[in-house]
Amino acid sequence: MKMAHDMKDGVLDPVTFEVLKNAFATSVDLMSEQILRTCYSFVIYSRDFSSALCDAKGNTVMQGSGDIAVHVGTLHFQCKAVLEEFEGDIQQGDVFAINDPYRGGTHLNDVSFIRPIFVADEIIGFAQNKGHWADIGGNVPGSFDVNASTHFSEGLRITPIRVWREGTFLHDVAQLLVSNTRAPSQALGDLHAQAEATAVCEREILRLVDKYSKETVVAAMQETQDYVERIVLKSLAGMPQGEWETIDYMDADPALGEGMVPIRIKLKLDGNGIHYDLSGSAPAVSTFLNSAYGTTHSAIYAGTKTFFPDVPLNSGFYRAVTANIGEEGSVVNAGWPHAVTGFCSGPYEKIMNGIFELWSGIMPERAMACAFNLEYLLIGGNDGRTDTTTYFMWYDWMAGGWGGRQTKDGSSATSPVFGTGLAVQPVEGQERLNPVLTMCHEISMDSGGPGRFRGGCGVQKGGVLTKVDKTVMSYCCDRGRSVTWGVNGGLPSVPHGVWLNKGTSDEKYLGATFSNVSVQSGDTFTRPSAGGGGFGDPLERLPEEVLEDVIDGYVSVPRAECDYGVIIDVNDPDVDDYAIDAERTTKAREWIRAHRHEWLEAPPEDIASQYRDGKLDVLDVIRRFGVVLDWGTGELLKKSTQQYRESMRRRSSDYWA
Amino acid sequence: MPDLRVAVDAGGTFTDVCIYNSSTQEFRVTKVPSTPNNPMQAVLDGVKRGEIELADVDLFFHGTTVATNALITRRFPKASMVTTKGFRDVIEIRDGTKDNLWDAYADVSGPYIRRRDRFEVTERVDYAGEIVTPLDEQEARELARKLKRRGTTTIAVCFINSYANVQNEQRMREILEEEIPGANVSTSSGILPEIFEHDRFNTAVANTVLGPLVSDYVKQLDDELSAGGYANDLLLLHSGGGSMTPVMAKHYPVRLAASGIAAGAIAAKHIAEQCGYQNAVGLDMGGTSTDISLIHDGELRVTKQWGVEYGHPIVFPSIEVLTIGAGGGSLAHIDIAGALRNGPQSAGADPGPACYKRGGAEPTNTDANLALNRLGTSLAGGALELNRDMATAAIKEKIGQPLALETADAAQAILKVANANMADAVRLVSIRRGLDPRDFALIAFGGAGALHGAEVAKELGIPAVIVPPNPGVTSAMGCLLVDIQHDLSMMYTAGAESADTDDLTKQFRSLEEEAADRLRHEGVADKDVVLQRGISMRYQGQWRSLQVPMSSGEQSLKMAIETFHQEHERQFSFRQDTQPVEIYQLHLRAVGKTPKPSFTPYERVANATAEPHARRDVFFDGQWHDTPIYDRTILPPGFELTGPAIIDQLDSTTVVPPNTTASIDEWKNIRIRIVLTGEEA
Repeated sequence: MKMAHDMKDGVLDPVTFEVLKNAFATSVDLMSEQILRTCYSFVIYSRDFSSALCDAKGNTVMQGSGDIAVHVGTLHFQCKAVLEEFEGDIQQGDVFAINDPYRGGTHLNDVSFIRPIFVADEIIGFAQNKGHWADIGGNVPGSFDVNASTHFSEGLRITPIRVWREGTFLHDVAQLLVSNTRAPSQALGDLHAQAEATAVCEREILRLVDKYSKETVVAAMQETQDYVERIVLKSLAGMPQGEWETIDYMDADPALGEGMVPIRIKLKLDGNGIHYDLSGSAPAVSTFLNSAYGTTHSAIYAGTKTFFPDVPLNSGFYRAVTANIGEEGSVVNAGWPHAVTGFCSGPYEKIMNGIFELWSGIMPERAMACAFNLEYLLIGGNDGRTDTTTYFMWYDWMAGGWGGRQTKDGSSATSPVFGTGLAVQPVEGQERLNPVLTMCHEISMDSGGPGRFRGGCGVQKGGVLTKVDKTVMSYCCDRGRSVTWGVNGGLPSVPHGVWLNKGTSDEKYLGATFSNVSVQSGDTFTRPSAGGGGFGDPLERLPEEVLEDVIDGYVSVPRAECDYGVIIDVNDPDVDDYAIDAERTTKAREWIRAHRHEWLEAPPEDIASQYRDGKLDVLDVIRRFGVVLDWGTGELLKKSTQQYRESMRRRSSDYWA
Repeated sequence: MPDLRVAVDAGGTFTDVCIYNSSTQEFRVTKVPSTPNNPMQAVLDGVKRGEIELADVDLFFHGTTVATNALITRRFPKASMVTTKGFRDVIEIRDGTKDNLWDAYADVSGPYIRRRDRFEVTERVDYAGEIVTPLDEQEARELARKLKRRGTTTIAVCFINSYANVQNEQRMREILEEEIPGANVSTSSGILPEIFEHDRFNTAVANTVLGPLVSDYVKQLDDELSAGGYANDLLLLHSGGGSMTPVMAKHYPVRLAASGIAAGAIAAKHIAEQCGYQNAVGLDMGGTSTDISLIHDGELRVTKQWGVEYGHPIVFPSIEVLTIGAGGGSLAHIDIAGALRNGPQSAGADPGPACYKRGGAEPTNTDANLALNRLGTSLAGGALELNRDMATAAIKEKIGQPLALETADAAQAILKVANANMADAVRLVSIRRGLDPRDFALIAFGGAGALHGAEVAKELGIPAVIVPPNPGVTSAMGCLLVDIQHDLSMMYTAGAESADTDDLTKQFRSLEEEAADRLRHEGVADKDVVLQRGISMRYQGQWRSLQVPMSSGEQSLKMAIETFHQEHERQFSFRQDTQPVEIYQLHLRAVGKTPKPSFTPYERVANATAEPHARRDVFFDGQWHDTPIYDRTILPPGFELTGPAIIDQLDSTTVVPPNTTASIDEWKNIRIRIVLTGEEA
C-alpha cells in the first residue's frame, strides 16, 4: 500500500483533493446507475431513490448528483441510527436496512440499505442508498393512507436491522421484511439490487484506498465536507446579515375545523452560517400530512440548495445550514407515532417555498414565487375489462407551474419541487394498465399567477372510469385553500382540488385531500395542478407580453382584462389577428390601480354570495378579493380568508404603488 | 470506371473530407472550414480542396449538421400540429422533468411547434384500438380550412393511441390533403407506430418540421453533385449508424440529426475490429467536448432514448454516445473555496485558449499541454501558431500562484484533473451497461484525444491505447464504413409463450416487404439486401423492455425467449424464469450493403528505425524529460519506441509518456502499451 505522500501537514495537495472529491461523486453515481439498471420497482426506476457515501461517523461525504430532492439531507441521519444501534458490532460484509421516519427517515416506503466499508479491521465509511418501494404494507395498496393518524396503518416500520451478516444473507430477516408488502418478489428484487449497489460504491472506495492510501482517502472525506462548508460560508460573505421571517400554511387540520395550519420559518444570516428556526409552527395534524425531523431537514436543505445549485451536498452543507425545528409534536417535528407519509404534500412543500421566498429577498437574481403543490391521485379497485378479477391501481401525479421569477416567467408544466427528476407517466401506458380513459391532459388557460412575470402554467387532467367495480379514489395534495401565492406584488394562481362529474347534476367538489371515495363506471373526474404564483405587479407586465400569451392560449381575453388590465381586440382569431387597445388598456389599468386595495377589504360574505350566485368565479374570488371558500358549496371560510388576506397583503398589495 | 469513394463530414467548425481510391486502396484526407450559413458551400469547398473529379466518384457519403442545427435554433419553416381534443400540449408538458435538477432558472427548451400552431379535433381511439369517438368530419374540414387560411402547408397529425389504430389519423390526413392542395402532411403512426404519446408525437413533430428544410438541402446538394458528374445517389449518414438516399431522407429527415456523432463511433468500432479487440472505448476529444462510445462484443450500443436536446425525444434507434463537457478548450479555474476545477465551461473558438492570443486570459487544457511542451507551438502544419508565453502566464497567474505551485506543476495539475474527469465519465457509461472498462482497449481520436489518451487509459487501468492514422478526421472515415440502413418497428403485444407464431411471421413479412420496398426505391440490388428481425420483450408487469435478435425458423420464438432471459441477466443482473414473458414490439433492420474500403495491411519493416526530427524538454511526473519529437508520416510499420516521446502530425499530436511503449502497427495505428501500477511491482 502506498504512503500518504500527497499530504503535507495533514493537508491534501490540490490535485489529489479534486480528483478524490470527483471520484467520491462518481462512486456514488455508479451506485445510482447500478440501481437504475437492476431495480424491479417502477417507482425506483422513475428516479425515486438516492445514494450517499458517509464517513466513519455517519456524516455524508457525497450525495448522488441525480438524487431526488426529498431525500436530501436524510441519509446521514439513517447512517447514524445504524451506528447508534450497532456500534462495536459491525463486521465486514454486513448490510443494514432502515426506513424508520422517527430515526431520520422520510416515509416508510423509502427503504435504505447501508454497508460498512472496511480497510483491514477499521471502518472508514458507509455506502448507502434509499429507494421508494412500490408497497410497504399498511391499509392501502401503495401504502399512502390519507386517513392514517399513526404509523401503524401506514405499513412496516423498519428500525435498524441487519440483512447480511459478514457476507451471509439472512434470508429469514429478508423474508419477514418482504412478506409485509403486497409485492414480495418485487420487494426482494429491490432489496438485492440496493444491497448489491452499495457493494459497487465500496469497491470504488477500496480502489481509491489502494491507489492513494487509507489516510489520504479518509482525509479527503473530511476535506470534502470542509470544502462544501467553506463554499457556503464564502458565498455568504457578500450577502447582508440579519433576520427574515415568513409564514406559509397548510389547508387545514380536519380535527380542528376550518382555519389554515401555520408553518413559521425564520432565517438568520450572521456570518457563521445559515440558521433557520421553525419552532413557531403548529402542532401535528390529525391526518398523515405531518413531517418528522428527517424530512423537515430535507426541506430546509433542498430549499436552501436551490439558491446554491452548484454546491455538492454533504454534511459540510449540513454544518453551514442549521435549524431549530422546535419541540417534538409539531407538524414539522411530528415524532412517534404520528402518521407522516403525506409529509411530501404537506409541510415539505410549505417549507421549501417559504425558503424560496426568504432567499428571494437576499438573492434577487434567483428569486421565485411559489410553485404548485405535489399531488397524487390514487384510484384502486377491480378492473372490469377482463372476466377475471384483476386489481388495478391508477397511481397518478402531475406536472404543474413554478413561480414567476425576477427576469422571466415561471416554468410551465414542470415536475414538483419535491423532485424535478420525477417523470409524469404517459397516458397511453396508463390506459393499457387501467380502466381509465383520460379525456384531457393539457395546459390550463389562466392557471399561471398574474405578475410582471407570470407564474408558469399548470395542467388539467381528467378522465372517465370505463369499467370498474368496488373502486375508490383518494387524493394526497394541499393548497386548495392556501392557494399558490405570488410575491413582490404578484398574484395567486389557482386552488388545487378534485371534481367528480363536473358539469353534471352529480357534480361534487372533493377537495385537495380526501380518501376512499366510492366511484362507479361512467364517473368522470378532473383536477388541475396549480400554476406558479406571479412575480411583480401584473399591471406592469408589458401589454405585448399579455398579447402573446393570449395568442398562445395561456391567458384568456377576459382574464387579460381582469388580471392585467390589458384590453385585447379579437379581430380574426383564426389567423392570430388580435390587437391591443392601448387607450382602453391605460384606463383599465388606472381603474384597477384605484380599486385593488379596497377589493382586498371587501366583506368576504358578499364575495362568497356572489360566487354562489355565479357572478364571480374562482379566479376573481382568490386573485381579486383574497377570499377563501369551499369551492364546491361556496361556503365562506372565515378564518382561512383572514389568514390568506394577511399573507396577500404582505406578498402582494404592499408592493403596489 | 469511377473508383473514388468520398466522405464529407460537416462539423460545427470544420468539414472533413476523406477520399478513398478503390483501385489503389489509397486514402487521402483534407479539411475546410464549415460554412454554417450555407452548409452546402463547405461540402463543395471540400470537393474542390480534395481535388475530386465528381465523375470519378463511385459513392459519395455525407454527414451533415443541417438537421441538428435547425432543431437547436428552431429555425425551420412554420409547421402545425393537429391532435386529439384534450391533448394539445403533449409536446409541451413532456414528462415534466428538468435536466438541471437544482437550478430553478435553468429551464428545459420549448417545444418544436408553438402552442398557437397546435390544434385539436374531436376523435378518440382507446388502448385496444377501438374507436371510442369517430373523427368529427365537419370539425376536421373546418380546421383544415382554417389551416389553409393560416398559410400552413406542413402538418403533423398526432392522435392518442394511433399506434393501435391508424384509421382516424389517416382520415384526418386525407381531409387536410383535400382542403390544402400541396400540403405536406404526416401522421405519427406513419412515422413511428409505437406506444407512448410524447415519444411518438415529438418524433413525428421533429420529423415534420425538418421535412421542407432537409429536402431542400438534400435536393440542392444532390443536384450539384449530379451536375458535377456524380452518377450515383448521395448517401446521407443517419444517427442509427447507416445511411440513406435523398428519397428516404425526405421521409425521415429527423434521422439525419446527430449523424456526425454516430460516424465517430462507427470509426472506433472499425479500428477496434482491425486491431483485434472485441471490446473498446472510443474517446473522441475535440475543442469543447468529448464523445465517449462503447464497443462490446464487437457491437456498438444502439439506444432509442435520445434527442438533440433534453426533453425532446427522437425515438429512432441511434448509436449511443455520451458527450461530456471536457475538451482542449475546457477552462481550469480555482473556485471560491479553493478547489482546482476543470470545465465544463470552455473557452470555445473565440476567444479560445490563452495561447491563441485572442484575448483569452483563463488557462485551458490546450494551454497546459503547451506549457508542458507536450504540444508544439505550430499546429496544422503552421496554419495555427500557439503562443507558449501566453499559456504559461495564464497558468502561472490563475492556477500556479493561488495554489503556490511552480507553473509546470500547475499545468500538470490541470491535466491530471481533466484526465481523471474523463476517466470518471467512462466509468459511468460502462457501469450503465454492466461492463468493466479495464477489459477494453481505448481508441483515442479527435483533435485532442491522442494528447490525453495514454493518461486517461492509465487512470482507468486500461493497458492498450490505439491512435488511428488520422485522428482529426476519423469521423469522416467512419462515413465510408456504413451501409444503407432502415430501422422499422411495430407494436405487437402478446404473451410470448402463447403467441400465434404464424401471425408473428405474417407481421414480420409485412415489415420486410415495406423495407425491401424502401431499399428497392433506393436502387439497392436484391443480392445486397440483408434483413434482420428483432423482437422486444419484457417480463409481465415490467416497464423496461429489451430488444433481442430473432431468426426466422420454427424455433425462432423459443430461441428469442431464451436469449431474452440471458440478455436480461447480463444487462440487469437478474432473470425470472418463472415470470411470464410478454412480446412488446417487432423490429426490422433492413440493410442495403454498400462496398467498403478494403484495407490491406502494410508490411511490417523488420528492425524498423526512424529518427526524431527534433528534441525538446517535456514535463512528465514532476520533472522535465529530454524527449524526442517524431514526424508520424515517416514512422514505418513495425517501428517501436519507448516513452517519453511526442509524435506530431498535421491534425494531431500523440503523447507517449515515460514508462510506456509505442509501436506502429500494420495499419499504421499507433499502439501505446501502458504499464499499470500492479505490473510495476
